[in-house]
Amino acid sequence: MTDSQQSEQSEKIEPVEQEAQQETQKENEIMTAAAPVRTYKAKGRVFGMSVAVLAIWAALYIVASAIPALPVPGMAGMITINAIMTAISGMVLGPAAAIANAAGGIVSMILFPYGFSAGPLGFLTVTMGGLVAGLLMANKWVLAAIAEVLIIGSWFINPQSWQTGMWLVPLPYSAIALLVIVIKPVRDWVRKSILTQNKVWMWPAVFLMCTVGHAAEFLTTNTMVNWMFNLSWQYWVPTLPYWILVDTVVILASSLVGVGVMIGLKKARLPLFTESLDK
Amino acid sequence: MNIDLKAHSSPLRSLDGRTKLTALAVIFILVLLFSHPVYIVALLAFVLVIWFIARLPSKMLKDLMNYFWMIAVIILVVQIFFYPGTTNLLKISKPLPAIGFSGFITLEGIAFGIAMVLRLVVIMIVAPLMVMTTPLPELMLALVKLKVPYRFAFIMTTALSLLPSIQNRASIIQQAQLCRGISYDSGGNFIGKLKASVSLMIPLILGAFRDSQTLEVAMNSRAFGAPIKRTFLLDSHFTTADFIIIAVSMVALIGGIVLRILGFGTY
Repeated sequence: MTDSQQSEQSEKIEPVEQEAQQETQKENEIMTAAAPVRTYKAKGRVFGMSVAVLAIWAALYIVASAIPALPVPGMAGMITINAIMTAISGMVLGPAAAIANAAGGIVSMILFPYGFSAGPLGFLTVTMGGLVAGLLMANKWVLAAIAEVLIIGSWFINPQSWQTGMWLVPLPYSAIALLVIVIKPVRDWVRKSILTQNKVWMWPAVFLMCTVGHAAEFLTTNTMVNWMFNLSWQYWVPTLPYWILVDTVVILASSLVGVGVMIGLKKARLPLFTESLDK
Repeated sequence: MNIDLKAHSSPLRSLDGRTKLTALAVIFILVLLFSHPVYIVALLAFVLVIWFIARLPSKMLKDLMNYFWMIAVIILVVQIFFYPGTTNLLKISKPLPAIGFSGFITLEGIAFGIAMVLRLVVIMIVAPLMVMTTPLPELMLALVKLKVPYRFAFIMTTALSLLPSIQNRASIIQQAQLCRGISYDSGGNFIGKLKASVSLMIPLILGAFRDSQTLEVAMNSRAFGAPIKRTFLLDSHFTTADFIIIAVSMVALIGGIVLRILGFGTY
């Protein structure tokens, strides 16, 4: 190759190298530049959870309300799968579960009224369920305890609940829920087992967390029904064993679904409330 | 599991959603305010007249009652036997203090039992009355106009729009699980139904959460929450009929509260 040919080739290569260098420089500038600043407040989140996730949860809740699970003699038509959704919502969404459950509850109450014995205010029951469990999951245990005490208190404010044996009605699950919230070692163990997804202890921890959510929902429903229809102890006390059975079944089913969902969400690296707690 | 989101064609269809929500709230408050059967019968008659004016099918009433007849019977029986009354009508047995039964069926017990059952009926039929005559998007618009936080209304409207896709996903999962031998029709076997519902719920929730990421990106790219004046695809305005109904509702509410304060409407 002659010198003239070499110089021609190097002239051809130089511009190509220069272009490549320029591109690399541009890329470096882009990489090192500050992230674009939003000019508006991030309103796409409620209590740390994305509005999109809450909307999806509300939609799931509505669909779950259309699936009857348990016929319930003596109460609103039937328990639907949405009872499971309420119990696990606090674990999955944190305190924002109250918002998602309320939205889903309002729409499903409109579309499927047979799942709500408290009429137009029926959505409050699922809201309270999500709120108490969500607050506990977020370690805002004082607020969770206040909400639970308010729920239990609203039962006892009604003069009907001063009758013989009526104190037994909130006892089975609301008392357990309150103890889980208030006793620090239990509370910490439940949260830690769920957060770390401990293979052995996750199941009982999820069971207790579902108990907290379901107890809040269930006692709110009972309280509202009691205020509306003035039912005396002759109804509540004899039917109590039946309700304990129904509650246990719902909580067990919720625990099964809850464990699967929590593990699945983490494995699939999907948005999980507990991850925001890890940070 | 087909969800019908269409509103029935009805004379009430043209009313503003806010008017219907106001009327619903007033009827709900009034029915809780009174415990005298005559007052609740009057409210029920009013609601039924509106039901037929709205041209809603009477079959729907029957369907609703099918779900609630058992609780209605229990409420009636509990009140008849255990409501503390003074006007004895019929002696059933000796007094049974252990279960709180006086031995008599009283007039007050029967009246209060009927009132509570009628209250249940009014509570159960009043919400569908309002909702079945209003398309859900209009209802959501009414909520936003009533200053319900926009994010909350957004969650409801988005949930509604996502319903078909989630239903579709649920049926696909059901078919897939059927192929794996999981039956959703266990013929009353409760454990089988429980297992089936678990096998449906977990993939359904996980799949839906995956979709939420796409939705979140779409929302962010469209500047959700930007401080701009929001406009709506649908719009609603009060008409003369709306003003009249709201005024009548307010008068009824105030009248009901005054009656209750004066000692009327209770048994």
